[in-house]
Amino acid sequence: MMPEISFNIDHGYLEGLLRGFKSGILKQADYLNLIQCETLDDLKLHLQSTDYGNFLANEPSPLTVSVIDDKLREKLVIEVEHMRNHALEPLSTFLDYIKYSYMIDNVILLITGTLHGRPIHELLPKCHPLGTFDQLAAINLANTSIMLYNAVLVDTPLAPYIKDCISAEDLDEMNVEIIRNTLYKSYLEDFYNFCKKQGGATADVMCEALAFDADRRAFIITINSFGTELSKEDRMKLYPRCGNLYPTGLKMLGECDDYDQVKAVADYYPQYKELFENSGSNPGDKTLEDKFFEHEVKLMKKAFMQQFQFGVFYAYIRLKEQENRNILWIGECVAQRHRAKIDSYIPIF
Amino acid sequence: MGSLFRSEEMQLCQLLLQTEATYACVSELGELGLVQFKDLNSSVNAFQRKFVNEVRRCEEMERKLRYIEKEILKEGLRIYDVTDNPKAPAPKEMNDLELEFEKMDSELRQVNTNNEALKQNYLELTELKEVLGGAQSYFAMYGNNIQHLVEEETSHEEAIIGMKSQQGNLGYYVGTLLREKVPVFERVLRFVTHGTVFVHVEEISRTFQDPITGDEMHKCMFVVFFQGEQLRNKVKKVNEGLRGTIYPVPDTPAERNEMLVGVSTRLDDLENVLAQSNDHRLRVLGNAQKEMRAWTIKVEKIKAIYHTMNMFKVHQSSLIAECWFPVKALDDIRRALTVGEKQSGSSIPSVIQRMDTHEAPPTYYSCNKFVKGFQNIVDSYGVATYGEVNPAPYTIITFPFLFAVMFGDAGHGLIMFLFGLYLCVKEKELAAKKINNEIFTTFFGGRYIILLMGLFSIYTGMIYNDVFSKSLNIFGTEWDLTGITIPELEAKEDIELHPTMTHRNKTAYFFGVDPIWQSATNKIQFMNSLKMKMAIILGVSQMLFGICLSVFNHLHFRHYFDILVEFVPELLFLGCLFGYLVALVFYKWLMFDAESCAPALLIHYINMFMFKYVGKPQPTKTDPHPCDPQYVFYSGQQTIQTLLFMLAILCVPVLLLGKPIYVVLKKRMSSRRQFAHLSHPTDPLLSNEVGPANGFNKKGLKEGLESQVNPAYQHDEADAGIGNGNRVDPPSTVMSLNSDEETEDDMAKHGASEAQSHGGGHDDLDTGEMFIHQAIHTIEFCLGCISHTASYLRLWALSLAHAQLSEVLWSMVLRLGLTMGGRYVGGPITFVIFFVWANLTVGILLLMEGLSAFLHTLRLHWVEFQSKFYKGEGYHFQPFSFDYIHEMQTLEEAT
Repeated sequence: MMPEISFNIDHGYLEGLLRGFKSGILKQADYLNLIQCETLDDLKLHLQSTDYGNFLANEPSPLTVSVIDDKLREKLVIEVEHMRNHALEPLSTFLDYIKYSYMIDNVILLITGTLHGRPIHELLPKCHPLGTFDQLAAINLANTSIMLYNAVLVDTPLAPYIKDCISAEDLDEMNVEIIRNTLYKSYLEDFYNFCKKQGGATADVMCEALAFDADRRAFIITINSFGTELSKEDRMKLYPRCGNLYPTGLKMLGECDDYDQVKAVADYYPQYKELFENSGSNPGDKTLEDKFFEHEVKLMKKAFMQQFQFGVFYAYIRLKEQENRNILWIGECVAQRHRAKIDSYIPIF
Repeated sequence: MGSLFRSEEMQLCQLLLQTEATYACVSELGELGLVQFKDLNSSVNAFQRKFVNEVRRCEEMERKLRYIEKEILKEGLRIYDVTDNPKAPAPKEMNDLELEFEKMDSELRQVNTNNEALKQNYLELTELKEVLGGAQSYFAMYGNNIQHLVEEETSHEEAIIGMKSQQGNLGYYVGTLLREKVPVFERVLRFVTHGTVFVHVEEISRTFQDPITGDEMHKCMFVVFFQGEQLRNKVKKVNEGLRGTIYPVPDTPAERNEMLVGVSTRLDDLENVLAQSNDHRLRVLGNAQKEMRAWTIKVEKIKAIYHTMNMFKVHQSSLIAECWFPVKALDDIRRALTVGEKQSGSSIPSVIQRMDTHEAPPTYYSCNKFVKGFQNIVDSYGVATYGEVNPAPYTIITFPFLFAVMFGDAGHGLIMFLFGLYLCVKEKELAAKKINNEIFTTFFGGRYIILLMGLFSIYTGMIYNDVFSKSLNIFGTEWDLTGITIPELEAKEDIELHPTMTHRNKTAYFFGVDPIWQSATNKIQFMNSLKMKMAIILGVSQMLFGICLSVFNHLHFRHYFDILVEFVPELLFLGCLFGYLVALVFYKWLMFDAESCAPALLIHYINMFMFKYVGKPQPTKTDPHPCDPQYVFYSGQQTIQTLLFMLAILCVPVLLLGKPIYVVLKKRMSSRRQFAHLSHPTDPLLSNEVGPANGFNKKGLKEGLESQVNPAYQHDEADAGIGNGNRVDPPSTVMSLNSDEETEDDMAKHGASEAQSHGGGHDDLDTGEMFIHQAIHTIEFCLGCISHTASYLRLWALSLAHAQLSEVLWSMVLRLGLTMGGRYVGGPITFVIFFVWANLTVGILLLMEGLSAFLHTLRLHWVEFQSKFYKGEGYHFQPFSFDYIHEMQTLEEAT
């Protein structure tokens, strides 16, 4: 049977709801208004006229960027949790997969925090609410990756991802980075396979999105590894093997020693070539990171072109994250009266 | 004309308000609620407007009020409604209000923080007490000596590895934990320590209150035994991560008892303090509670005023507003402005200055609560174009009537009437309850419609002689039943009563339908014929009435020629075809009886279009009265019918081409005349005879008449909307409060010259488009006449369905119950069956059938009736008014 026929029985409500949410994403005209703001209160006033409504109404002035950040995040979390609570299989698993990435971030955040001697009750509120789980509380026990596995991750969905990097070594910054990237790598590959298994339009959209994510990680790991003690073999192990770069591109990346070589690798892939060519660190140029974000936004917008598939859920959360980054960027610029770079947000629609 | 017949006359005016008086004036206008302000700053961002700071201050006050309100509601206190209407405070008082709220807010917050701290303390102490009690009994069960206990434990619970060898340094923690975290706690401890600690968890039976949110919490007490410093650390960290609390519990029972006593006394003290602080809190809230409603209204009013003032333009020391208002409210507005000026102590009076514009004015009716419901029915199709005839006054009668034709049952009508009556009588009480149930508000909003629908249903039900599908024998029957005996009736299945023999009154029954039809087997055939004809008569009359109403539109918009090329052909077309049919129906009813040879109208009507006529043959001996329903039944029938038909056909080309040709000719004429007219730009006769309403007459413009009928003058503010750059010297056009004829005259002169200059913009009207438009209109009308007449047959269909359904319900349910069970059981059975029948009657016949009849009536009005004259392209008059603030119950609704 064609899955499109029965899609709406289980997921029609949520897709409809989501497409409604999507039309609340700020438009270019809203951004043009936002960047004219003089103070954060102006920002609040303008956001009131958008889909955000009165989400800041109960905050006393003067506002701070961190309050806005919390509220933005809260709004997204409420929406996602609502969808998760109404989701049926396999959409519920799909949404869980999206949450895993937040779980990984939280684990890493807490480990780094405890490494720096911050008390756990101070760190816990900083975690992203989409990625909290009960066992996180025990994370301050983890001083080796074995302990991390035993105490925290063993009965969470993240457990299979950490298998590859269990060691008795004490955790240090380097280790934490490696753990993060290994977790992400396994996570992406797992998610990729899950989406592929779903087949149909979901697979089409999601595999493209996840492949891009994987490639982006590979590029960024490579670029960030220059000048650190990470060996090439270790680096190779961190590349997620589900992107367009796999296998040849990854192999070439593994050999790279400097930025130009990375760029040379990207030249083989037209979609990435463009990103590398137009980026730079000179003033006025967009950073590579921003270029990646822009490309991501483009991909995510494309996801909405197809119906009866889960990609829209992933895309919406991604776009919303980008929008939150944009608002915060503008908010920071306004708050610090540093207007020169205020328009380097990434417009979505 | 009555105000309901068409929209109130509206006027666009410019208000010149002194800056210091603006606030008070706007406040007075808000209380009045008859002025709709235009946003003159729509291109400006919300945060770049002039009074954005004041709006922001209001929002800040709102926030504080919301907090106070939340606290009040949390205590379960009510917010009292105010009886009087607090006016918007002066801007100076806003500071006082702010200070007051600030004080209240900070006081409340302080009280709350203190309370929270106290409660936290209290929580810890109660927990400690529970823990001590729990530990006491736990240890008592296994012996008071901990070391001794270990031995018991090892044999009692799962063996702890290596415990026996190093019994010496066994430690334990006692503490509390949220119940939902217990499984995680146990699991994590097991993983972390590889099961080398012993955990005992016990639920605490009492609940605790969260000091911050006030929610109930369930907690568990845990006792963890462990060995060695490392494990102690781990347990401590896990506990920390899960937000548990560890309490120091002494080793010996005596010490524990001592501690318990100490804790109890401290708890008692704390309870006292808590009670006092709670009293204080209640006092603070009690003060706020009284004022709350008035505060809310004040703040909302201030906010609304500043929002409105943000729509004004700043001009030197004054603010300029543009607004629509009903002309007859001008005096009220002036009065309000004067009051506002007096309040603010401004010496310079505000100025109201009339503006003419090509923008269509909003449509406004001052409805009372009775008309409101019917007006809503019309408005939900489309708000009347300004100046157009309003169908609502006619709807008041036709709507319930057409409904009743479909719903005709006196019994059901009575129930509906009583329900409507209840809603109307209890109106005030029900409205005060402010019920938010959507279904209820729908019924409540339409209470007068329901009342009338019920009343009319009783009437039509009496005519159909249907009461719960039974007939009432009030006037007796006019059929002669003397020859028929009861045994005869019982013996035969049915008896044929021939009208020529047994019908006494040979004209008509006194009122409604003769009850004897209730028992006739051909009742349905008889009723069908009656109802079908009635549906056609009602339908055609309503459509004819609709067409007649269009005359008033043509007259009002001064499309005099349209009466000739639109109204007359339309009337003729419908009248000649279907009006004739109606006439035939009456003719047949009046002129024929059972003895004469009645024609078959349907056949005759079809034959009329096919020019087929069957002449009456000469009587022969075998058949002295030859009778065939197809025979021509009045002399000259062929001539008259052919004439009518031709007339109707002739109307089509007139309708199709008349108007476009007229407009084209007119345009040519006027372009020739325009040149001549230019030389006399101020023709006082012409400009004086025209009222301001004509400025909005777009049709007039199109027809090139604007040079005469549009004394339009524009102020520079209105430019943007009209796209015309001509400026008029402000001083010459100012009409001050005490406007006199001089200025008006002056204005008109300006208007005349002004109109000249922008007449050219509309000159090249697309003629082709107009032809197409008229063709569509013609086709729509002609086909519509036929389909709409057929559509009115739903009156018959639904009334048939309703009658049949209620008859089925009677015979299949209630009569079944009445005949069942014999002498003794029958009573209870009937008792039960009656409820079934009554529920089905209300559920199906009243609610479902009622809804369906309502919808069909709605359709008949919207489509069949209103399409004949109603455009519905206007927009509502939405005056700036404080009314909504009084509707609001809590501040939460405002957000």
